[in-house]
Amino acid sequence: MLTLRNLGKTYANGVRALEGFSLTVAPGEIVAVIGGSGCGKSTLLRLISGLDNASRGSVELDGDVVRQPHPLINLIFQEPRLLPWLTVANNVGFGLAEIEGEDRRQQIELALKKVGLADLAQRWPKELSGGQAQRVAIARALVTQPEVLLLDEPFSALDAFTRADLQDHLLGIWEETRPTLLLVTHDIDEALVLADRVIVMRPWPGRILDEIKVDLPRKRDRASPAFETVKRRLFKALDASLQHS
Amino acid sequence: MADLAETGIKTEAKTSRSVAAWVFYGATRQTTAAIIVPVLGLLFWEVAVAAGWFSGRLMPPPSRVLATLWTLLKSGELFNHIGITTARVFFGFVLGTVTATIAGAVTGYFGLARRLIDPSLQALRSIPSIAWVPLFILWFGIFEASKVALIAVGVFFPVYLGVSGAILSVDRKIVEVGRIFRLSGFTLVRRVMMPAVFPAYVIALRSGLGLGWMFVVAAEFMGASEGLGYLLVDGQQLGKPDQIMAAIITFAIIGKVTDSLLIAATAPFLTWQDSYRREG
Repeated sequence: MLTLRNLGKTYANGVRALEGFSLTVAPGEIVAVIGGSGCGKSTLLRLISGLDNASRGSVELDGDVVRQPHPLINLIFQEPRLLPWLTVANNVGFGLAEIEGEDRRQQIELALKKVGLADLAQRWPKELSGGQAQRVAIARALVTQPEVLLLDEPFSALDAFTRADLQDHLLGIWEETRPTLLLVTHDIDEALVLADRVIVMRPWPGRILDEIKVDLPRKRDRASPAFETVKRRLFKALDASLQHS
Repeated sequence: MADLAETGIKTEAKTSRSVAAWVFYGATRQTTAAIIVPVLGLLFWEVAVAAGWFSGRLMPPPSRVLATLWTLLKSGELFNHIGITTARVFFGFVLGTVTATIAGAVTGYFGLARRLIDPSLQALRSIPSIAWVPLFILWFGIFEASKVALIAVGVFFPVYLGVSGAILSVDRKIVEVGRIFRLSGFTLVRRVMMPAVFPAYVIALRSGLGLGWMFVVAAEFMGASEGLGYLLVDGQQLGKPDQIMAAIITFAIIGKVTDSLLIAATAPFLTWQDSYRREG
């Protein structure tokens, strides 16, 4: 269980990026955090991942306080951030430093198969398309079997087709091992297609404005009336977020 | 079908012809153009001296320079000089590179070290390196140690600047990937920083090596009885311009050869680079 208690972050330049953010995410739950820029969405993920430390409040995973990168928490960035000097296979195996030989090879192959890129194992990152590179990044995060996977607008740089394809892929992977997913996005459809709950944030300082449950069975039909109903509720909440800013 | 096949063949023939044309008019024409002026110049000088328009005493024609080069080569004297000079460059290069890499890594990685050491090194860098010669002779004597020290100083600064600059410009985003996988300290350096700075390091080594070849001449000017620099001084004192030119040509060749060796040795580690143009 991931517990965020009253998280706040004030940067050295005095900007209050996040204030009083409290949230509990159950194991295997998918939560989307949505809001415009300046809401502290990325700050939130940097605090949970341990890349930055909170100014106030705490992050806890199963009772462990997280102050630095945690073995069971991984973060997928907006850009793939592959290491250009490693082949696709070695990028995926980057987090498997202690595991060697056949075991390592098998784990890498399995992770690459999950994202549908087993054929590209020996390629260099420069030879991949944007969508392929982001899939390698997902495989790299999955291979260490994290309990919590944070995603920072992971598909925002991709075209609509690739994005929908990767969202399906992500759900397929999630169904196998059921990690907790905490996804930051500014794409309303993406939030509604993936998440059990959508947290709506308001800016300056970033904090929670509203929370919307998405009680629809997966895989969700974007054109169904039920989907439309939830979407309308989410739009209303976002309107309110804009009025507050 | 037959028609189609024929068309296909025709197209292919046309393509290969146009490729050949491109090679001829593109690449060949460029090298040809580049060679015309020096070749004409050399030919003119050869003819001018042969015809007796000039004596060629201070500016020997190509044939005489080549003959001198051949004599030096045949007697084994040239290899002796090349060996001595290369050894000096080698030791100076290794000494300069090792110290510069350590200094550059420390100042690039640790902010405190940078604030403490970098300003002094930058001040030392602005001293014309030849100015060290008298001091080095006093400190290290007239023989090998002072020569190697001078070459090392020449190699040090470009390599130092390259290393510390490259470390400072490593992409924060890539380092964060390392941190997410809980790398820190030396592991982060070894697995993320070192590969990230390697391309810039190779360039720093190349400019360092180039300066090493420049400084070996200065070092051998300050009193040597062997080496290519000695051939230059000896040629000047005994009025043998052909020997000077033979030494200059030798410098050009081994400088280029060692640079190519450095590129060839590092190229296998750089195939991953996504560059605008890869060096051939």
